[in-house]
Amino acid sequence: MAELLWLQGQCCSGNTMSLLDAEQPNVLELLEEYRVNLAWHPSLSLESGNQARDILDGFVSKERTLDVLVVEGAVATGPGGTGHYNVFCGRPFKDWLSDLSRVAAFVVAVGECACFGGIPAAEPNPTGATGVQFHKGTRGGYLGVDYRSQAGLPVVNIPGCPAHPDWMTQTLMSILVGRAGDIVLDEYQRPADLFAGLTHDGCTRNEYFEFKVDGAFGEKEGCLFGEFGCQGPLTHSSCNRLLWNRQSSKTRAGVPCFGCTEPDFPTFDFYHTKKGLGGIPTELPLGVPRARYVAMAGAAMAACPPRLRKKLIEGRS
Amino acid sequence: MAVAEPLVHPGRTVVDVSPLNRVEGDLEIKAIIEDGKVVAARAQAVMFRGIEIILKGKSPMDPLVITPRICGICGQSHLRTAVHALESAWDAEVPPNATLVRNICLGAENTQSHATWFYALFAIDLTTPRYAGHPAYAELVRRFAPITGTSYRGAVEVRKRMLEMVAIFGGQWPHSSYMVPGGITGNPYLTDITKAIAILDDFRRFVEEVALGCSVERWLENKSLADVQAWLAESSKHADSDLGLFLRYGPELGLASIGKGPGRFLAPGLYDEPDSRFPGRPNERRTWFKAGFHDETGLHPFDHLKIREDIARSWFEGYEGGRHPWEGVTVPAYSPENHEDGKYSFAKAPRYDGRSAEVGALSRMICNQDPLVLDLAAKLGPNVFTRGAARLHEMVLTLPKMREWLNAINLKEPFYKKPVEKKDAQGVGLNEAARGSLIHWVVLKNGKIDNYQVITPTAWNVCPRDSLGNPGPIEEALEGTPVADLNNPLELGHVVRSYDACLVCTVHAVSGKRVVPYRVGI
Repeated sequence: MAELLWLQGQCCSGNTMSLLDAEQPNVLELLEEYRVNLAWHPSLSLESGNQARDILDGFVSKERTLDVLVVEGAVATGPGGTGHYNVFCGRPFKDWLSDLSRVAAFVVAVGECACFGGIPAAEPNPTGATGVQFHKGTRGGYLGVDYRSQAGLPVVNIPGCPAHPDWMTQTLMSILVGRAGDIVLDEYQRPADLFAGLTHDGCTRNEYFEFKVDGAFGEKEGCLFGEFGCQGPLTHSSCNRLLWNRQSSKTRAGVPCFGCTEPDFPTFDFYHTKKGLGGIPTELPLGVPRARYVAMAGAAMAACPPRLRKKLIEGRS
Repeated sequence: MAVAEPLVHPGRTVVDVSPLNRVEGDLEIKAIIEDGKVVAARAQAVMFRGIEIILKGKSPMDPLVITPRICGICGQSHLRTAVHALESAWDAEVPPNATLVRNICLGAENTQSHATWFYALFAIDLTTPRYAGHPAYAELVRRFAPITGTSYRGAVEVRKRMLEMVAIFGGQWPHSSYMVPGGITGNPYLTDITKAIAILDDFRRFVEEVALGCSVERWLENKSLADVQAWLAESSKHADSDLGLFLRYGPELGLASIGKGPGRFLAPGLYDEPDSRFPGRPNERRTWFKAGFHDETGLHPFDHLKIREDIARSWFEGYEGGRHPWEGVTVPAYSPENHEDGKYSFAKAPRYDGRSAEVGALSRMICNQDPLVLDLAAKLGPNVFTRGAARLHEMVLTLPKMREWLNAINLKEPFYKKPVEKKDAQGVGLNEAARGSLIHWVVLKNGKIDNYQVITPTAWNVCPRDSLGNPGPIEEALEGTPVADLNNPLELGHVVRSYDACLVCTVHAVSGKRVVPYRVGI
């Protein structure tokens, strides 16, 4: 039986809510069929008050072995280094994290806040918020560059605002079925199997992107990169490969990607493409040189098939 | 003048529930108990993120992405509210199709939230060994025990499927930002609508077969407590349904005699009428669930200008007394427990016309003059039981309406109309999350956010005392609550959870996790 403890720092519970949307396995199957004991979870467990505290103390004192510590939410260090902006179970949350990270075999940070600090750590960072082992794109965060869990791994980051349920469940599965050794972490300690590709991959509006046809709100047609600040071609995620809630994705529904799996989220000035000289977006698809992009865009517009400038379905709004 | 009083003195026991979980975010309750009853209680919020501070100076559209992240449970309600605030500031027109899609998705979020509240957060408490002597105990455990309960498992599945409806129209749940001033970002296919109908029918089947034991329409014929009693007697299917068990045993377990609260109910209105083309104009806005404020003298029109936020006992500084949120400021000022300033919470204290008010499904149904809930409240009073019944009733009531909205979408008509943006303007976003009143206020200057203030439902319910020393609704509701076992103060959990407090959603911001020593005094 693997002992799993889930704690929340400065968070919105969005990753917990997302986790509940999981399938294959769903949350109950994950716990039952893969022999996980959910030692405590702030939303799902029966225990309150002293009963909850006893469980945490049992792990800290090593009476019980902590196999997986899941952290959701940023770590508040303010005001003045005290951590009083987030007190949990009678102590600053950061102190619980220090104690429990020392005894955990694996530490998994779920969601943007736990991974990189997320929204609470956005400027002016009023609460001194930081991620578990990163502060935005810089290694270190709360636990420091050198932190390793009992299994010898750094913190495994499952970013996103929120993280997709499969990103969480399948990463936990990798640990539970003995494949932790196969997890490849990228420069931000994200599992490459989930974050090697881009959000752009699999977007239903890709043809509009290819031929530089801009969209507008309230439409099925058009690409959101040119005018609406879509970060899809610059953001690592599998949103359009795995889809959300088994149905769709933000970009498919006409919502620009906000880049919420990258360490600098939130970048603000959303729904808006910043442009430089000649109306060219200042941020281009990952790795594409500016001059080449301009040439490619010009050729693409010239080659655009007329059907892409029409309504997808005649007679519809 | 409040005088500090020692926390512990002979005859008193301080019960510190830290954390009180399953309120969607943790809460710590400190209750002072004399002779087995709570004489005073404090709800303390101690998680602060400073989201209002972060929004200052940002672009007007940024709250559409940032504020849903205040709360992962009611994120879509925040999105609707943020959009509404801009529609108010920019005087935007909204096509009926957009309002329909927004209502459908908000309905999905709210109805599944009510189911989640009942099965995953509240009914679990009915399975604790304390109730082992009750004749229905074995059945309560069989259905409601966490993870293993049959209804618990069913609810976890149907809530998930219901949220697929939001993903169909908005891309994902939680945290999409598909509503924008003037409409929505997408444009549904016919097959999106048919699939949404199937999802709705799926949820309805669970409600009818498991929760009600009858059709939605049969339940909605109940207009009074007497009707409900007749409904229970009419069929064993009714009596043995999950709602039947709750209605029969809730009062027996004492739920109808605890958690009264202030007896004042606030509701800014929920679900804009599709033909209400300018929902951002407070005087023209029409909603399906009507806005109102209900106190001891009856029902009054809702006016957001009567709202003030007080910070006398909150860890903030910058002004005395109360301020309307358009003039509000958020400057954190943490001080240790027992500091002479008496501050003990990161929640501000919202007041309507100077007084605290309860928000949530019970308030919404009372202000909407729902006959059944009005009768329950009149006969039984507001309490843990009535609050739960009102929430489940609202869930049932919303389902047929969602089908009406789905039927009304006209695929030939637009889903978006571009608004004219104003660089200098102020707006108010009026809405309700599942757990009650949700309002955003925005002030724009030179095309940037000069001030952004949010009052969440939980801020209303979980707030601390104000400068007059008057308690927040949950603090008041806890007073007088009997506590049978000091080591397991289950009754306190019943009261707090009856408000469906979503602690993460308090921006200023509670995800409150504890309560400091309490000072009694006049």
